[in-house]
Parts: sequence; C-alpha cells; structure tokens
Amino acid sequence: MTWEAVIGLEVHVQLRTRTKMFCACRTTFGDPPNTNVCPVCLGLPGALPVPNAEAVRLGATAALALGCTIHHTSVFARKNYFYPDLPKGYQISQFDQPLATGGRVTFESAERGRVQAGITRLHLEEDAGKLVHDRFPGKTAVDLNRAGVPLAEIVSEPDLRSPAEARAYLTTLRQILIYAGASECSMEQGSLRVDANISIRRPGESRLGTKAEVKNLNSFANVERALEAERVRQIGLLEGGGRVAQVTLLFNAGTGQVKPLRSKEESHDYRYFPDPDLPPLVLDDAWISARRDALPELPEARRSRLEVALGIPAYDARVLTSEAPLADYFEAVVAAGVEPKTAANWVMSDVMTTFNETGGFPVAAGRLADLVGLVRTGTLSHQAAKRVYAEMAQSPDGDPAAVAERLGLVQVSDQGALAGWVDEVLAANPAEVARYKGGETKLMGFFVGQVMKRSKGKADPKGVQPVLAERLK
Amino acid sequence: MSAAAAAKEVGGRLAAAEPLNATLHWSQALLDAEAARVDAAPAAGALGGMPVALKDNIVTVEQPTTCGSRILEGYTSPFTATAVGRLREAGAMIAAKTNMDEFAMGSSTEHSAFGRVRNPIDPERVPGGSSGGSAALVAAGVVPAALGSETGGSVRQPASFCGVVGMKPSYGRVSRYGLVAFGSSLDCISVFSRTVADAGRVLSVMTGHDPLDATTLDRPPMPVPTPLADLRGLRVGLPREYYPADLHPGVGAALQRTRAAIVELGGEVCEVSLPHSPYAVPTYYIVAPAEAAANLARYDGVRYGPRKVGPEGDIRALYQATRGEGFGAEVRRRILVGTYVLSAGYYDAYYRKAQRVRALIAEDFRQVFASGVDFLLTPTTPTPAFRAGEKTGDPVAMYLADIFVCAVSLAGLPAVSLPVGRSEGLPVGAQLIAPFFEDERLLAAAAAIERAVPAGAEVR
Amino acid sequence: MSIGRDEVLHVARLAELAVREGELDRLVDQMNRIVDYVAQLDRVPADRMTAPFLPGPASAALREDVPGPVPLARPPAELAPEFAEGFFLVPRHGAMEES
Repeated sequence: MTWEAVIGLEVHVQLRTRTKMFCACRTTFGDPPNTNVCPVCLGLPGALPVPNAEAVRLGATAALALGCTIHHTSVFARKNYFYPDLPKGYQISQFDQPLATGGRVTFESAERGRVQAGITRLHLEEDAGKLVHDRFPGKTAVDLNRAGVPLAEIVSEPDLRSPAEARAYLTTLRQILIYAGASECSMEQGSLRVDANISIRRPGESRLGTKAEVKNLNSFANVERALEAERVRQIGLLEGGGRVAQVTLLFNAGTGQVKPLRSKEESHDYRYFPDPDLPPLVLDDAWISARRDALPELPEARRSRLEVALGIPAYDARVLTSEAPLADYFEAVVAAGVEPKTAANWVMSDVMTTFNETGGFPVAAGRLADLVGLVRTGTLSHQAAKRVYAEMAQSPDGDPAAVAERLGLVQVSDQGALAGWVDEVLAANPAEVARYKGGETKLMGFFVGQVMKRSKGKADPKGVQPVLAERLK
Repeated sequence: MSAAAAAKEVGGRLAAAEPLNATLHWSQALLDAEAARVDAAPAAGALGGMPVALKDNIVTVEQPTTCGSRILEGYTSPFTATAVGRLREAGAMIAAKTNMDEFAMGSSTEHSAFGRVRNPIDPERVPGGSSGGSAALVAAGVVPAALGSETGGSVRQPASFCGVVGMKPSYGRVSRYGLVAFGSSLDCISVFSRTVADAGRVLSVMTGHDPLDATTLDRPPMPVPTPLADLRGLRVGLPREYYPADLHPGVGAALQRTRAAIVELGGEVCEVSLPHSPYAVPTYYIVAPAEAAANLARYDGVRYGPRKVGPEGDIRALYQATRGEGFGAEVRRRILVGTYVLSAGYYDAYYRKAQRVRALIAEDFRQVFASGVDFLLTPTTPTPAFRAGEKTGDPVAMYLADIFVCAVSLAGLPAVSLPVGRSEGLPVGAQLIAPFFEDERLLAAAAAIERAVPAGAEVR
Repeated sequence: MSIGRDEVLHVARLAELAVREGELDRLVDQMNRIVDYVAQLDRVPADRMTAPFLPGPASAALREDVPGPVPLARPPAELAPEFAEGFFLVPRHGAMEES
C-alpha cells in the first residue's frame, strides 16, 4: 500500500534590524536578561507601538525575493492569548491582510527533480520573549530581550511530498533570504525557526488527511528526522485502521521521536482584530519598485551568471552559490586574476573546508590568487600549494612565497637536481626500467612518483617527466 | 506669586477637599518639587505655574498610577506620559493624581476600588465618570484645570454634572503615550477647567504629533484660540435625536436658554438629523469592551503590580487569581463582554458589525457638517447628576447616561461641555460639537457662548 | 441570543478571569442583559454598511531603525513582583507546559 505525505512548513525568520519591531530597543543576541527592554516591549501601562521602517523594508525585500505580491495596504492585528513570554497578553501580528501573498521557492527534489513549492503568505509580527525552565526550581524565568524583535512569518503551501523535500525547501529558502539580506537565518541563534505540518493520504487523492503539527525543531536535519518519524507513525496508524487525530507534537532530538504536547489544550481562539494602535501599512508602487530595484542578485541568477559569464560547470556554480559569502569569495579570486575553473576547484575544496569549519575566509582572495600564481609558474606543485594554504589559514598574514620558503616546499626545477634524482630512481628500479623499455609505458607514472618521493615532494613534476623520458629512451 | 507659594496654597486646598475623595495620590513634598522646577525655569512658559491635576490613568514617574484599581495598587511607572511632559515644559505644576472609575469604565466614579467621589455641589450625588475626581477638584476650586480621559464621554459627562468646562479634542491630536489604554480607538486625554480660555491654554500645549504614538496626526498643534465676539455668520444645528420629548425639563430649559443666547449672538439655529444616533451606545458597548479586553490582558501579575496565586500554584493560578481578585466587578464584566464579542463565531456579528455601524455614525456627522452647519448643540447628559447608588444595580442603566456623548467619541470629533445653568441647584451642561480637527474654532465659539450664558443661574 | 453558564465560564477561561461560584449566576444574567442590548445593531440594514471605521491617520508613519528606547526611570527588578538574577519569575507552567 502506498501513501503520500503532504507537508507544509511555517518558517519564522528574524529580520536583520538593529531595533525591535515596535520600539527602539536593540535586538542584540546574547545580552544579559531584561537589559534590552523599555515600556513598549515590557507591556507597561500606557506604552504604545510604533512600526520599524527597516523591518518593513526587509520584510518586503524577503517577499519580493520569494516572488510574492506585496499588498499596498496591510493591517497589523492583535493575536490574543496568555503566556508568560507575551508581555501584552497579545502578539501584534498580521491576520487577514498580510504584507504579501503568492510566492514560490524552487528547489531540487531527489524524488521529483525540480519542484516549485508555493508560498501562501509572508507577514510581519513581533517575537515573544524567552522562557528558561530549569534554572530556578519550581519556577519559570522570563527574559524579555527577545520580546518585540521583528519577525517575518513565511507559510508554504502543502506542496512538499517528503521529509527530504522539506529539508531541501528549507535549505533553498534560507539561501534566498540570506542572499536578499533579510535575515541571518541561523537556527542555532534562533533567527530561523520551523514548525512543520504533515498529513498522509493515498496518491491521487485530492482531499488532505488530518494534519499533525511538529514543533521544537532546531536544525534542518532534525526537521527531516522528525517528519520521517511522524510520517511513519501516521502511516502505521492508518494501516492499522486507525485515524490520525489533529495534534501538536514535540520532537525529541535525543530519541528521534515525536510525542504529543503534555496536555491537550482546546485549540486556541486568538480573537484576531485589527490593532487600533496602528494605522494601516500603506506602501505605494514607487516604494515597492524601489525595493525591487534594490534586490541583490539572488542565488538562481547568480548561478546562471557564473555558468554563462565565467564558463564554469553547472555543478560548480551550484556549489559555489550555495552560500553567498562563498560566491563572493570565488568572484574576488577570479577578479584577482585566477582562471575561473582553477579558482572554482580551489574554492570548492580547501577554501570551502575552512569556511565550513570557521564560517570565514582566513586567506584573503588576493593571497589565494598569489598562491595559485606560484603553482602556475611552477614554483610550487599543487600538493605543496595545498600545504601552504593550510599553513596560511592558521596565520593569515603570510605571503605565500615566504611561507613556501619557510616550509621548504619550493619546487626544484633545476635540471641538474632533477637529473640527479631521476638517475637515482632509475638505478634503484632496474626491473621496472626493463619493463618500461619493453613497452609498459604506463610505468612513467610510477617513476614520476618515485622521483617525487626521493625529492621529498620538491621536484617539479612537470619538469621531471621530460627528464625521465629522455633517460628512458 | 511664586510657584512655591502657590504650591502651599494648592496643598492647603487639597487637604481641605479630602472629604470629596477626589484624589488618590498627592503630597506637599511633590507639590514643592514641582514648584521648585517652575521657579527655577528661565521663562514662565505658556501655563506659568498653573497647578493641574491628573486622572490616575495618566502615568508619571513621581507618583503611583493605579487607574482606580487594586491590580495596579502601588505601581509606579518608570516613564511619564508625553502630555504631562508638555504641560511641565509649559510651566505647569502637577498637583495630584485623581480618583476615577476603575480603568475608566464607568459613568459615575462609583466603580473605583478606592471609594466613590462626591460631587462638590451635592455630596450625595455622583460627579459623573469616569473622570469624576478631576471634575470634582476643578468644580471645588482646588485647581484651575485637570486632565481626564474620554473613551465614551468620561470628561464631558462629569463636566456637565459638576458645572465645569470639559473639552475633548479631536482623536489623534493629543498623544496617548502614557495614557493607560482602555479603548484605544476612542481614548482621548481631555481637559477640565473653569473657563473655556483655560481649556484652550492647556490643550494648545498638549496637542501635536508624538513619534511615540502612531495614532497622532502629523498636523500642527492647536494654537491658543481667540474668543469670537459673536456668532454672526455661523450656523448651529440641533440634532433632533438628542432632544427627546421626555428630556429632563431642567436640561431642556437650560438648552433653550443656550439656544436663545446663540441667536442673540447672531448665530443661526436649525434642526438637523443624525439618524444612526440610536445605535451609538450599543456600538460603543461592543467596540470599547472588545479593545479593553485586549488592552487589559497585560495585567497578569508577571512583570508589575501585586500578585496573587491560586491554590493550584501554577501559572494559570497566577493569572486567574491576580486578575479575578485585582479587577472590580464592572471591569470584569466588560472584559468578559469584550472577550465574548471577539470570540470565534461572534467576531463578525458583533465587533466587525459595530465598527461598520460606527462608520455610519461618523458619516452622519460628516454629512451634517458638509451641509453648511458649523457646530452642533446638544444636551451633554439626559439628566443632572443622579444620586450615588441609583444606577449601580443595572449596568445598562448606567450605560445610558452616555447617550449624548458617545457618538462623538465613536466619530473622533472634538466637543466641549459648557455649564449653562442650574436645575434645582444641580449643574446642567450643553455640548457643542465641531467637525474633525476644528478644535480651535470650537473653543473660539464656545468662549462667546460662555460669556452670554449665566452658568450658575437657575433655569426654572 | 442567550448565553449560558458554560459559555460564560468558557469566556472567563479565555480571559483568564477566575469566576467565584457565588457570582456566576448574576454574571450570566448581566452578560445576557448587555449582549441583548447591544444586539440592537441587528436592526441596521446590512446593505447600508460600509467599511469599518477607525479615526486617526490613514497610514502608519514608520520609525527609522535607530537604537534609543525610552529610558526606564526604574529597572524591571524594581517593578517586578518576583525577580532574580535578571529574570522575571513565575510559577512553573501547569497546563501550559510545552517542553
């Protein structure tokens, strides 16, 4: 029996502003508790919200990057419920008149190839504070530094068909939002949060099954794991003749299991109504056009440009544009004079390794270009250059040539030295020489390797071969 | 007189006025501190040392702000309202925080957690509400001016009951930053005074855009109005819906006299209609409680105010006990009504519908003013001040006290109540209403009427 | 439209207001009275109704993204009923616990 999973994702991203959505408190992550607070975000009597222009700009930019339509008029609404991290007893959000609707994220699905997942809406809202449960026995601690931070909520259509697709969607969404400059999108720092909905139905069935919501997901990998666990659970239920109840589940990263929220609350009645403290957000065509014009080059376009203008393969372009800083670095290396494919190889290997480990580029693009130049002129072998790179990554200010000297890696191209090593190798391997002269020309590689070993990597392989060829005639 | 000397005098009058129960917080020390600031200032400022009392839902750093409620007992705000800052910059001295119906919900100031306020004219009667304390202090001559707040008439109505001037500005002209919210789309800081001139002086200092309040208009502040010498060339409309056949005869007589004075001043009087008037009070009692239910959700015992925890000892027990015990009966009732009309299944039938009817009410006024009428004249209240305890048994009976003032609040218009006579010794107020943003003209015309009508004279 | 006891209790729960057993009946009566009164709006013909009305500016004026909040004359610690090590403290969640 086959089943189809139907998945939708609700993503909250923190917009990259300096101040909160409705007050001028800083949004800095990690400050001592309750130090970035004021009457407004503390919900004190008499305080009033005033919207942050940059949050609106970034929200609109994100919406445009996702191909959404921006509405000329949108309305802030109060979402009413009680929770200790919600100072006013309501969250200022947007309800039936959101900032934007109707976008899409195009990503590669392992099962289905290129998929265009719809985005239902993107709206602006304020974040809640943070609760700490295990610091004071019998108590919950409340930190309101985060209360009021600007968020964009991005809701997808239920267009995803597998946990893996959910992950791919998220990876692409995150990439687009980082490129657009709208958010840092870091799940570790809480600037990107995901809630997932999943239901099961028979393939070809048009109605949706009852969906479950999964929360408390702290990485894309865990989104995939959680959805997989839930998919299996729901299928198990249905195959056993049972029905799926509409539940909210929490994912436990340690066990890889999902379990229902401890008490089943009646579903919330948020009693949405337009916030009377905030006039409608009115954005005219000129303003929207300006946001569109200011959109940075997005991943798809950049990928294309690198392929076409720089002539690098599609695979390379995809890898290089996976993170905007990586693509920026790559283009800087090319601009410094390195041939694109060579630059791509370097950036996709050594550079990307350090970037993934440290999040940065310890070797400046210009320095890498210098290093590559040394390989091109034969001063260094490629292997030696990799070792020089590794060294430079530790102590960033080194000049490649000086580092190579210090490590004793400068290649020897001097004919006399090369000839010496070649002679030593040929003398040490008479059997192979005989076999080579007997027709096994592929042993050339063996001899080159031996010369490299004997020279402790210093011989210039390009110079070695002709010398060998001469000697072996 | 130096401000220091004035402060001593005000202190003396406040002490003498204690039986009115009109104040919640005042001290000679704080008065002296205000005076010291005024005396040290390089210039007198537009208000030159005027002592002004504040309704206790306007926050100040120096005194507690309780909104007449136990749930904020002892709460002292860490910031001061914009309007108060502007008063101080203009040289005013803050005299006291005044008693009020709890969270501004009421029409008699009998719903304060700290006891009712007595009408200085007749202590067995109510001063009106919710700004009864401020009205009483001005009526008793303790201070020349006081701030109140209006959501559905809470300054005009007590002004009428106490025989003083009560001026509600156009919505959005005075910053609400620092006014504890009740009905956000209705709330207006408003002014009590003994004269129209003083109301104008105080209001002009407070009006103007505030970047901390997104509902303030980005339009110029109101200049101090110049009183009109007469009303020639002006047309005053009398909306028939505000003159029912069974209007209290004393009120009717006072309005008649006012109308005659207007004609003598050269004004033209005509009958007009505001057909959706009957829907004003029901509309108000959907919109205001709904907004209030959300505005009062922040009083949960988590971050400020006294805290109570119920027997279960969990977070829910904290919320329910703090709120259940901290809020009085009228506030609890309105929160429940407000929550109900917003709840699933009822939003369209109540709140959304009420906001649309509100548009019709506002449109009635717009059309009448567009037809060539400059102002509207109505009674402020259907009767003079009633006795304490008379209307507390039935919530709806109390709501009907607002019948003539409510619609103006829904439409966001400026309106002033003037004392225009006495009926069996009790003050009667007449209400003058102007088009949106015409606050200056309104007060200019009101000044002319004030001169022409003997406020203290018996009408029958 | 009549509101029953259960409905009043449900609304009270939404508003986190404890209702004392003794006052429930009176509350039900009063709420019915109020709701019946405001239901007069049903008499306004639907075709005459236009868009909802809010006074104030037609569009929101936005604030530039510059730090500088209204300073607090006294810190959260002084306002809070219970405060320790920089945090507001509340009882552990009972029915609301999420994790």
